[in-house]
Amino acid sequence: MKKILLPIVVLFACVTVIGLATYGFSSFTIFSYTLKSAGEVPRAFPDFEWIDQDSTVFHTKDKHKYLLVNFVYLNCPDVCHKVNNRLEHIYHAIDSAVIPEKLELITISFDTQRDGLDKIRKYRKLFSRDNIDGWSFAIPYQASAQQFHTFLQKTGVWVYQMPETGLINHSVYLFLISPDNKIVRVFDPAREDDSQIINQMEQCISSTGISSFS
Amino acid sequence: MYKQYRNLIFLLIIALLVWLVSFYWNSWLSETMMRHQVIQLPAMILLGAATGLYFRKLRINTLATQISVLIILMTSIIFWMLPLSVDLAVIYPKYNRAMHLHMFVTGLVMVGVLRATIFEVRVAFLGMLAAMTLAVGITLYSFNILLCSSFNIWQQQEAGYYLMFLSGGIFLLTYIIFFRGAGRVQ
Repeated sequence: MKKILLPIVVLFACVTVIGLATYGFSSFTIFSYTLKSAGEVPRAFPDFEWIDQDSTVFHTKDKHKYLLVNFVYLNCPDVCHKVNNRLEHIYHAIDSAVIPEKLELITISFDTQRDGLDKIRKYRKLFSRDNIDGWSFAIPYQASAQQFHTFLQKTGVWVYQMPETGLINHSVYLFLISPDNKIVRVFDPAREDDSQIINQMEQCISSTGISSFS
Repeated sequence: MYKQYRNLIFLLIIALLVWLVSFYWNSWLSETMMRHQVIQLPAMILLGAATGLYFRKLRINTLATQISVLIILMTSIIFWMLPLSVDLAVIYPKYNRAMHLHMFVTGLVMVGVLRATIFEVRVAFLGMLAAMTLAVGITLYSFNILLCSSFNIWQQQEAGYYLMFLSGGIFLLTYIIFFRGAGRVQ
Protein backbone atom coordinates (compact mmCIF):
# COMPACT_ATOMS: atom_id res chain seq x y z
CA MET A 1 0.00 0.00 0.00
CA LYS A 2 2.83 2.39 0.95
CA LYS A 3 4.46 1.74 -2.41
CA ILE A 4 1.53 2.94 -4.46
CA LEU A 5 0.44 5.71 -2.10
CA LEU A 6 3.37 8.04 -2.85
CA PRO A 7 3.01 7.97 -6.67
CA ILE A 8 -0.76 8.46 -6.34
CA VAL A 9 -0.33 11.47 -4.04
CA VAL A 10 2.34 12.92 -6.35
CA LEU A 11 0.14 12.35 -9.41
CA PHE A 12 -2.77 14.05 -7.67
CA ALA A 13 -0.55 17.00 -6.67
CA CYS A 14 0.83 17.36 -10.21
CA VAL A 15 -2.63 17.26 -11.80
CA THR A 16 -3.75 19.88 -9.26
CA VAL A 17 -0.82 22.16 -10.10
CA ILE A 18 -1.54 21.99 -13.86
CA GLY A 19 -5.25 22.46 -13.12
CA LEU A 20 -4.63 25.56 -11.02
CA ALA A 21 -2.21 27.01 -13.56
CA THR A 22 -4.77 26.66 -16.36
CA TYR A 23 -7.95 27.68 -14.52
CA GLY A 24 -9.21 24.12 -14.29
CA PHE A 25 -7.81 22.91 -17.63
CA SER A 26 -9.67 25.62 -19.52
CA SER A 27 -6.90 28.09 -20.40
CA PHE A 28 -3.96 26.63 -22.24
CA THR A 29 -3.08 29.75 -24.23
CA ILE A 30 -2.26 33.24 -23.03
CA PHE A 31 -5.34 34.55 -24.84
CA SER A 32 -7.79 32.37 -22.92
CA TYR A 33 -5.75 32.79 -19.72
CA THR A 34 -6.00 36.61 -19.92
CA LEU A 35 -9.73 36.35 -20.59
CA LYS A 36 -10.26 34.04 -17.62
CA SER A 37 -8.08 36.22 -15.38
CA ALA A 38 -10.39 39.16 -16.08
CA GLY A 39 -13.25 37.20 -14.49
CA GLU A 40 -16.28 35.18 -15.42
CA VAL A 41 -19.08 36.78 -17.44
CA PRO A 42 -21.37 38.57 -16.78
CA ARG A 43 -19.04 41.25 -15.48
CA ALA A 44 -18.74 45.00 -15.88
CA PHE A 45 -17.18 46.30 -19.08
CA PRO A 46 -14.45 48.70 -17.86
CA ASP A 47 -15.29 52.33 -18.40
CA PHE A 48 -13.17 54.15 -20.97
CA GLU A 49 -13.46 57.18 -23.20
CA TRP A 50 -13.47 56.58 -26.98
CA ILE A 51 -13.57 58.76 -30.05
CA ASP A 52 -15.23 57.46 -33.22
CA GLN A 53 -14.83 58.16 -36.95
CA ASP A 54 -17.13 61.19 -36.69
CA SER A 55 -14.97 62.66 -33.89
CA THR A 56 -17.70 61.94 -31.37
CA VAL A 57 -16.38 61.22 -27.89
CA PHE A 58 -18.37 58.54 -26.08
CA HIS A 59 -18.48 56.03 -23.24
CA THR A 60 -19.99 52.60 -23.86
CA LYS A 61 -22.03 52.92 -20.65
CA ASP A 62 -23.89 55.90 -22.19
CA LYS A 63 -25.08 53.90 -25.19
CA HIS A 64 -27.79 52.00 -23.27
CA LYS A 65 -28.07 49.30 -25.91
CA TYR A 66 -26.37 46.03 -26.76
CA LEU A 67 -22.87 46.46 -28.18
CA LEU A 68 -20.71 43.99 -30.02
CA VAL A 69 -17.13 45.14 -29.44
CA ASN A 70 -13.97 43.83 -31.09
CA PHE A 71 -10.34 44.92 -31.00
CA VAL A 72 -8.08 45.24 -34.05
CA TYR A 73 -5.15 47.20 -35.43
CA LEU A 74 -5.16 48.49 -38.95
CA ASN A 75 -1.59 47.48 -39.90
CA CYS A 76 -2.50 43.87 -39.21
CA PRO A 77 -1.46 41.74 -42.19
CA ASP A 78 -4.17 39.16 -41.81
CA VAL A 79 -6.43 38.22 -38.91
CA CYS A 80 -8.00 41.61 -38.01
CA HIS A 81 -9.33 42.10 -41.54
CA LYS A 82 -10.71 38.57 -41.59
CA VAL A 83 -12.51 39.22 -38.31
CA ASN A 84 -13.88 42.51 -39.65
CA ASN A 85 -15.07 40.72 -42.80
CA ARG A 86 -16.89 38.28 -40.53
CA LEU A 87 -18.40 41.23 -38.66
CA GLU A 88 -19.54 42.67 -41.98
CA HIS A 89 -21.41 39.42 -42.69
CA ILE A 90 -22.88 39.42 -39.20
CA TYR A 91 -23.91 43.06 -39.61
CA HIS A 92 -25.74 42.37 -42.88
CA ALA A 93 -27.34 39.18 -41.54
CA ILE A 94 -29.08 41.09 -38.76
CA ASP A 95 -32.33 42.93 -39.39
CA SER A 96 -32.09 46.72 -39.74
CA ALA A 97 -34.77 47.02 -37.05
CA VAL A 98 -32.21 45.65 -34.59
CA ILE A 99 -29.14 47.62 -35.74
CA PRO A 100 -28.65 50.42 -34.77
CA GLU A 101 -31.67 50.77 -32.52
CA LYS A 102 -31.04 47.84 -30.17
CA LEU A 103 -27.55 46.70 -31.13
CA GLU A 104 -24.42 48.50 -32.25
CA LEU A 105 -21.08 47.20 -33.46
CA ILE A 106 -17.91 48.91 -32.29
CA THR A 107 -14.49 48.09 -33.72
CA ILE A 108 -11.72 49.50 -31.56
CA SER A 109 -8.11 49.88 -32.64
CA PHE A 110 -5.57 49.30 -29.90
CA ASP A 111 -2.63 50.54 -31.96
CA THR A 112 -2.53 53.97 -30.34
CA GLN A 113 0.76 54.80 -32.07
CA ARG A 114 -0.21 54.26 -35.70
CA ASP A 115 -4.01 54.33 -35.94
CA GLY A 116 -5.45 57.84 -35.82
CA LEU A 117 -8.88 59.22 -36.69
CA ASP A 118 -8.07 59.74 -40.38
CA LYS A 119 -6.90 56.19 -40.71
CA ILE A 120 -9.98 54.65 -39.09
CA ARG A 121 -12.24 56.90 -41.17
CA LYS A 122 -10.59 55.65 -44.37
CA TYR A 123 -10.68 52.08 -43.13
CA ARG A 124 -14.39 52.29 -42.28
CA LYS A 125 -15.11 53.47 -45.83
CA LEU A 126 -13.87 50.10 -47.09
CA PHE A 127 -16.92 48.54 -45.45
CA SER A 128 -19.40 51.28 -46.24
CA ARG A 129 -20.34 50.63 -49.86
CA ASP A 130 -23.67 49.85 -48.25
CA ASN A 131 -24.95 51.88 -45.36
CA ILE A 132 -23.31 50.71 -42.13
CA ASP A 133 -25.12 52.86 -39.62
CA GLY A 134 -24.61 51.35 -36.21
CA TRP A 135 -21.09 50.10 -36.87
CA SER A 136 -18.57 52.53 -35.41
CA PHE A 137 -14.79 52.47 -35.55
CA ALA A 138 -13.10 54.03 -32.56
CA ILE A 139 -9.79 54.68 -30.82
CA PRO A 140 -9.01 55.58 -27.19
CA TYR A 141 -9.54 59.27 -26.45
CA GLN A 142 -6.78 61.13 -24.60
CA ALA A 143 -5.57 58.06 -22.71
CA SER A 144 -2.04 57.10 -21.80
CA ALA A 145 -0.62 53.80 -23.00
CA GLN A 146 -0.61 52.56 -19.41
CA GLN A 147 -4.30 53.42 -18.87
CA PHE A 148 -5.25 51.67 -22.07
CA HIS A 149 -3.14 48.65 -21.19
CA THR A 150 -4.96 48.42 -17.84
CA PHE A 151 -8.30 48.67 -19.65
CA LEU A 152 -7.34 45.80 -21.99
CA GLN A 153 -6.24 43.65 -19.05
CA LYS A 154 -9.49 44.28 -17.18
CA THR A 155 -11.46 43.46 -20.32
CA GLY A 156 -9.50 40.25 -20.87
CA VAL A 157 -7.72 41.16 -24.11
CA TRP A 158 -4.12 40.05 -24.57
CA VAL A 159 -1.93 42.26 -26.76
CA TYR A 160 1.74 41.60 -27.46
CA GLN A 161 3.92 43.40 -29.96
CA MET A 162 6.64 41.18 -31.39
CA PRO A 163 9.92 43.12 -30.97
CA GLU A 164 11.55 41.99 -34.23
CA THR A 165 8.69 42.57 -36.66
CA GLY A 166 6.46 45.06 -34.87
CA LEU A 167 3.49 42.79 -35.56
CA ILE A 168 0.91 42.70 -32.79
CA ASN A 169 -0.45 39.35 -31.70
CA HIS A 170 -3.70 39.73 -29.80
CA SER A 171 -6.99 38.17 -28.76
CA VAL A 172 -9.72 38.31 -31.41
CA TYR A 173 -12.67 37.84 -29.07
CA LEU A 174 -15.95 39.62 -29.70
CA PHE A 175 -17.53 41.03 -26.54
CA LEU A 176 -21.29 41.37 -26.27
CA ILE A 177 -22.06 44.23 -23.87
CA SER A 178 -25.54 44.57 -22.38
CA PRO A 179 -27.39 47.91 -22.06
CA ASP A 180 -26.32 48.07 -18.41
CA ASN A 181 -22.66 47.94 -19.57
CA LYS A 182 -21.88 44.34 -18.63
CA ILE A 183 -20.00 41.81 -20.72
CA VAL A 184 -22.62 39.11 -21.11
CA ARG A 185 -21.02 36.90 -23.78
CA VAL A 186 -17.59 36.47 -25.29
CA PHE A 187 -17.38 34.95 -28.77
CA ASP A 188 -14.30 33.43 -30.32
CA PRO A 189 -14.57 33.93 -34.09
CA ALA A 190 -11.76 31.41 -34.59
CA ARG A 191 -13.94 28.66 -33.13
CA GLU A 192 -17.52 29.84 -33.67
CA ASP A 193 -19.09 30.51 -37.05
CA ASP A 194 -21.26 33.51 -37.89
CA SER A 195 -24.58 31.70 -37.40
CA GLN A 196 -23.53 30.47 -33.94
CA ILE A 197 -22.55 34.00 -32.93
CA ILE A 198 -25.81 35.45 -34.30
CA ASN A 199 -27.89 32.77 -32.57
CA GLN A 200 -26.24 33.40 -29.23
CA MET A 201 -26.66 37.17 -29.58
CA GLU A 202 -30.28 36.61 -30.52
CA GLN A 203 -30.83 34.50 -27.38
CA CYS A 204 -29.34 37.26 -25.25
CA ILE A 205 -31.16 40.12 -26.87
CA SER A 206 -34.50 38.29 -27.12
CA SER A 207 -34.88 38.87 -23.39
CA THR A 208 -35.35 42.55 -24.24
CA GLY A 209 -38.38 41.78 -26.42
CA ILE A 210 -36.82 41.26 -29.87
CA SER A 211 -38.03 37.92 -31.18
CA SER A 212 -35.99 37.63 -34.37
CA PHE A 213 -32.81 39.10 -35.86
CA SER A 214 -33.42 38.41 -39.54
CA MET B 1 42.92 15.26 -5.95
CA TYR B 2 42.98 14.55 -9.71
CA LYS B 3 39.31 13.49 -9.55
CA GLN B 4 38.33 16.74 -7.87
CA TYR B 5 40.03 18.79 -10.60
CA ARG B 6 38.36 16.67 -13.24
CA ASN B 7 34.93 17.24 -11.61
CA LEU B 8 35.58 20.95 -11.33
CA ILE B 9 36.57 21.23 -15.00
CA PHE B 10 33.50 19.25 -16.01
CA LEU B 11 31.19 21.49 -13.95
CA LEU B 12 32.84 24.59 -15.40
CA ILE B 13 32.24 23.30 -18.93
CA ILE B 14 28.59 22.56 -18.08
CA ALA B 15 28.21 26.00 -16.49
CA LEU B 16 29.69 27.60 -19.61
CA LEU B 17 27.28 25.68 -21.86
CA VAL B 18 24.32 26.59 -19.61
CA TRP B 19 25.36 30.24 -19.80
CA LEU B 20 25.62 30.05 -23.59
CA VAL B 21 22.20 28.40 -24.02
CA SER B 22 20.36 30.28 -21.29
CA PHE B 23 21.92 33.75 -21.53
CA TYR B 24 24.30 34.40 -24.42
CA TRP B 25 22.21 32.82 -27.21
CA ASN B 26 18.89 33.34 -25.44
CA SER B 27 17.53 36.12 -27.64
CA TRP B 28 18.44 34.19 -30.81
CA LEU B 29 16.95 30.99 -29.42
CA SER B 30 13.74 32.82 -28.40
CA GLU B 31 13.30 34.39 -31.84
CA THR B 32 11.41 31.48 -33.36
CA MET B 33 9.25 28.82 -31.79
CA MET B 34 11.30 26.05 -33.39
CA ARG B 35 14.53 27.28 -31.79
CA HIS B 36 12.82 27.71 -28.43
CA GLN B 37 11.00 24.37 -28.33
CA VAL B 38 13.25 22.10 -30.37
CA ILE B 39 16.71 23.47 -29.53
CA GLN B 40 16.74 25.46 -26.28
CA LEU B 41 14.39 23.34 -24.18
CA PRO B 42 15.94 19.93 -25.11
CA ALA B 43 19.44 21.44 -24.84
CA MET B 44 18.81 22.28 -21.19
CA ILE B 45 17.49 18.75 -20.56
CA LEU B 46 20.55 17.27 -22.29
CA LEU B 47 22.94 19.41 -20.24
CA GLY B 48 21.21 18.23 -17.07
CA ALA B 49 21.33 14.65 -18.32
CA ALA B 50 25.05 14.96 -19.16
CA THR B 51 25.71 16.15 -15.62
CA GLY B 52 23.71 13.22 -14.26
CA LEU B 53 25.60 10.76 -16.47
CA TYR B 54 28.94 12.14 -15.30
CA PHE B 55 28.14 11.78 -11.60
CA ARG B 56 27.52 8.06 -11.49
CA LYS B 57 26.61 7.97 -7.82
CA LEU B 58 23.41 9.88 -8.56
CA ARG B 59 20.79 7.16 -8.19
CA ILE B 60 17.22 7.14 -6.90
CA ASN B 61 16.67 3.60 -5.78
CA THR B 62 13.18 2.96 -4.42
CA LEU B 63 10.61 2.10 -7.11
CA ALA B 64 7.84 4.20 -5.52
CA THR B 65 10.16 7.23 -5.37
CA GLN B 66 11.35 6.61 -8.92
CA ILE B 67 7.80 6.57 -10.28
CA SER B 68 6.86 9.64 -8.23
CA VAL B 69 9.88 11.54 -9.53
CA LEU B 70 9.10 10.54 -13.12
CA ILE B 71 5.52 11.83 -12.68
CA ILE B 72 6.92 15.17 -11.48
CA LEU B 73 9.37 15.31 -14.40
CA MET B 74 6.63 14.53 -16.90
CA THR B 75 4.41 17.22 -15.37
CA SER B 76 7.26 19.69 -15.54
CA ILE B 77 7.83 18.98 -19.24
CA ILE B 78 4.08 19.17 -19.97
CA PHE B 79 3.83 22.46 -18.10
CA TRP B 80 6.65 24.10 -20.03
CA MET B 81 5.26 22.89 -23.35
CA LEU B 82 1.87 24.53 -22.79
CA PRO B 83 1.40 27.50 -25.15
CA LEU B 84 0.66 29.64 -22.09
CA SER B 85 4.02 28.77 -20.48
CA VAL B 86 5.90 29.20 -23.75
CA ASP B 87 4.51 32.73 -24.05
CA LEU B 88 5.36 33.57 -20.45
CA ALA B 89 8.88 32.20 -20.88
CA VAL B 90 9.53 34.17 -24.06
CA ILE B 91 8.05 37.45 -22.79
CA TYR B 92 9.21 37.47 -19.16
CA PRO B 93 12.91 36.72 -18.43
CA LYS B 94 12.08 35.42 -14.92
CA TYR B 95 9.85 32.68 -16.34
CA ASN B 96 12.49 31.93 -18.94
CA ARG B 97 15.17 31.31 -16.30
CA ALA B 98 12.73 29.24 -14.25
CA MET B 99 12.05 27.12 -17.33
CA HIS B 100 15.76 26.62 -18.00
CA LEU B 101 16.44 25.66 -14.40
CA HIS B 102 13.50 23.27 -14.45
CA MET B 103 14.65 21.60 -17.64
CA PHE B 104 18.22 21.26 -16.37
CA VAL B 105 17.04 19.65 -13.14
CA THR B 106 14.64 17.46 -15.12
CA GLY B 107 17.52 16.07 -17.21
CA LEU B 108 19.72 15.60 -14.13
CA VAL B 109 17.13 13.78 -12.04
CA MET B 110 15.83 11.78 -15.01
CA VAL B 111 19.24 10.14 -15.39
CA GLY B 112 19.31 9.42 -11.65
CA VAL B 113 16.00 7.58 -11.94
CA LEU B 114 16.42 5.84 -15.29
CA ARG B 115 19.86 4.56 -14.27
CA ALA B 116 18.46 2.79 -11.21
CA THR B 117 14.96 1.77 -12.26
CA ILE B 118 13.70 -1.44 -13.84
CA PHE B 119 13.77 -1.60 -17.60
CA GLU B 120 9.94 -1.67 -17.93
CA VAL B 121 9.66 1.74 -16.23
CA ARG B 122 12.49 3.08 -18.38
CA VAL B 123 10.77 2.00 -21.59
CA ALA B 124 7.32 3.15 -20.45
CA PHE B 125 8.60 6.61 -19.47
CA LEU B 126 10.57 7.22 -22.64
CA GLY B 127 7.71 5.82 -24.76
CA MET B 128 5.26 8.22 -23.12
CA LEU B 129 7.68 11.13 -23.54
CA ALA B 130 8.04 10.32 -27.25
CA ALA B 131 4.26 9.99 -27.67
CA MET B 132 3.69 13.29 -25.89
CA THR B 133 6.27 15.08 -28.05
CA LEU B 134 4.67 13.60 -31.17
CA ALA B 135 1.20 14.72 -30.06
CA VAL B 136 2.44 18.27 -29.40
CA GLY B 137 4.24 18.27 -32.76
CA ILE B 138 1.12 17.17 -34.65
CA THR B 139 -1.02 19.73 -32.81
CA LEU B 140 1.30 22.64 -33.57
CA TYR B 141 1.79 21.51 -37.15
CA SER B 142 -1.88 21.04 -37.97
CA PHE B 143 -3.49 23.90 -36.00
CA ASN B 144 -4.40 26.95 -38.06
CA ILE B 145 -5.07 28.99 -34.93
CA LEU B 146 -2.20 30.90 -33.35
CA LEU B 147 -1.52 29.33 -29.95
CA CYS B 148 1.45 31.42 -28.80
CA SER B 149 1.32 35.19 -29.05
CA SER B 150 5.12 35.46 -29.13
CA PHE B 151 5.38 33.73 -32.49
CA ASN B 152 3.54 33.60 -35.77
CA ILE B 153 1.56 30.77 -37.31
CA TRP B 154 4.38 29.70 -39.68
CA GLN B 155 6.84 29.45 -36.80
CA GLN B 156 4.25 27.45 -34.88
CA GLN B 157 3.91 24.97 -37.74
CA GLU B 158 7.68 24.81 -38.21
CA ALA B 159 8.08 23.98 -34.51
CA GLY B 160 5.44 21.25 -34.84
CA TYR B 161 7.23 19.79 -37.86
CA TYR B 162 10.58 19.52 -36.06
CA LEU B 163 9.00 18.28 -32.82
CA MET B 164 7.70 15.30 -34.80
CA PHE B 165 11.29 14.54 -35.82
CA LEU B 166 12.44 14.96 -32.22
CA SER B 167 9.79 12.49 -31.09
CA GLY B 168 11.16 10.04 -33.68
CA GLY B 169 14.56 10.39 -32.00
CA ILE B 170 13.08 9.66 -28.57
CA PHE B 171 11.21 6.65 -30.01
CA LEU B 172 14.49 5.37 -31.43
CA LEU B 173 16.14 5.73 -28.02
CA THR B 174 13.22 3.85 -26.48
CA TYR B 175 13.62 0.98 -28.97
CA ILE B 176 17.34 0.74 -28.30
CA ILE B 177 16.76 0.61 -24.54
CA PHE B 178 13.92 -1.87 -25.05
CA PHE B 179 15.95 -4.34 -27.11
CA ARG B 180 19.02 -4.03 -24.90
CA GLY B 181 16.86 -4.66 -21.83
CA ALA B 182 14.93 -7.48 -23.53
CA GLY B 183 18.22 -9.17 -24.43
CA ARG B 184 19.35 -9.06 -20.81
CA VAL B 185 16.03 -10.45 -19.57
CA GLN B 186 16.36 -13.44 -21.95
